[in-house]
Amino acid sequence: MERKDQLIKIFSRTIRDILLKAPVDFEHVQEIRLRVGMPLMLILDNQEYYLTGEGALSAAREEAYIVGRTEIKETIEHISCHSLYAFEEEIRQGFLTIQGGHRIGIAGKVVLDDSGIRTMKYISFLNVRLAHQILGCGDGIMPYLYKNGQVLHTLIISPPRCGKTTLLRDIIRQLSDGARGIKGVAVGVVDERSEIGACYQGEPQNQVGCRTDILDCCPKAKGMMMLIRTMSPAVIAVDEIGSREDLEAMEYVMNCGCKLVATVHGNSVEDIRQKPILRKLVQDRLFERYIVLDGCKEVGHVGGIYDSNMVSLA
Amino acid sequence: MWMKILGSALVTVSCSGLGMWKAEQWKEHRKMLEQIRKMILLLKGEILYAHAPLGEALEHVGRKSEGAPAKLFCQVADRIGQQDGELFYDLWKEAVNSSREELLMTEKECQEFQAFGEHLGYLDLGMQERTIELYLEQLGLSVDFYREHERERIKLCTSLGFMGGLFLSIIMC
Repeated sequence: MERKDQLIKIFSRTIRDILLKAPVDFEHVQEIRLRVGMPLMLILDNQEYYLTGEGALSAAREEAYIVGRTEIKETIEHISCHSLYAFEEEIRQGFLTIQGGHRIGIAGKVVLDDSGIRTMKYISFLNVRLAHQILGCGDGIMPYLYKNGQVLHTLIISPPRCGKTTLLRDIIRQLSDGARGIKGVAVGVVDERSEIGACYQGEPQNQVGCRTDILDCCPKAKGMMMLIRTMSPAVIAVDEIGSREDLEAMEYVMNCGCKLVATVHGNSVEDIRQKPILRKLVQDRLFERYIVLDGCKEVGHVGGIYDSNMVSLA
Repeated sequence: MWMKILGSALVTVSCSGLGMWKAEQWKEHRKMLEQIRKMILLLKGEILYAHAPLGEALEHVGRKSEGAPAKLFCQVADRIGQQDGELFYDLWKEAVNSSREELLMTEKECQEFQAFGEHLGYLDLGMQERTIELYLEQLGLSVDFYREHERERIKLCTSLGFMGGLFLSIIMC
């Protein structure tokens, strides 16, 4: 109930009333979607439903409550705590993180200037993605991440929406707090999109461990360097690597005696070998463990664990 | 006879007091506007340099300051924190209206102060800066007016009070 109460406060009054009446357990709600002139939708346990004006779930589009522009505008005002200017950078990136770690994806008309995206106007589409932290989802993987008590350079490979960030978060937490009799170590996290710690006003909303330092909303390459120089971490964790700058920074981190845990989009190690920038990581055997998530069966399902020679360990 | 003298003296003293009180009110009014101006400048700093959301910025400034405007800022920050679905402008207007007496504002000043909240929080930092600058300019004009006329107003009020008292005493005698 607390989660529901906290979450519905970001919506306009009408939508708030509808959601209050909705007979759903918010622990199972994944997304709430608002689109101007379109039905109010809710994704619950991977199933899409329309919400009626009375708060009932329906499969019939004609019964759905139609979201108006005023409702989107009011919702944005509440999401930004009446201070859109304070979230300029987040709006440029297309999302905002709110208390509780929930992420609001926004879309509308992008305003460009010489330096790139300046802001977004006519925001007409909102996707409220509810944070689902799964403590212990990395339990089965943790024994493979250590060798002689030392953390290994690890790369998590996964297609989108298969739980790589959730897994990374739990690995960070366990490395930081210590697990299976191994002492916790200082972990530095570069959280470029506020997905790992989901920091709200600088405070992590997710459990990331007691020895974790987070650089929030910081570009990965710059953040890794900053952490090495200032926070002396034993492990650095980053999500969704991919650019040439990321690669250079990762090599620097690995040569500094720091361990690296990262995630990347892909279906298999072969996929990574095909990518022009990331290929080098595999060829040079920089990573000592590859964890491949296979989203076919269920979210977070581990398809395989490999060592640096691509020998399957599990 | 003594009673008449005593009565006249009392009337003169009270009327003079009334005049002095009116003069003091003018001064207080000017001081209040100056304090609001100072607080708006602090708010500008919180918004432009710290990029603090309105609730946080108003709370910080309110806590650093004193008097009715500080109370108003804290009250609005509280209401924002409650997230009860109201728009900022409505919250602001309501709070300004309820504190109008304590803020010693005239109808025009009150309207300007309310209008200040209308565009606060809207759009980007540039818009915040312009909204704040505009209000600071309006406040500056009011403060200048009160300061310019302060000496003559004080003289006028105290003299009128004394003379009025004297006039009443003469009439009563």
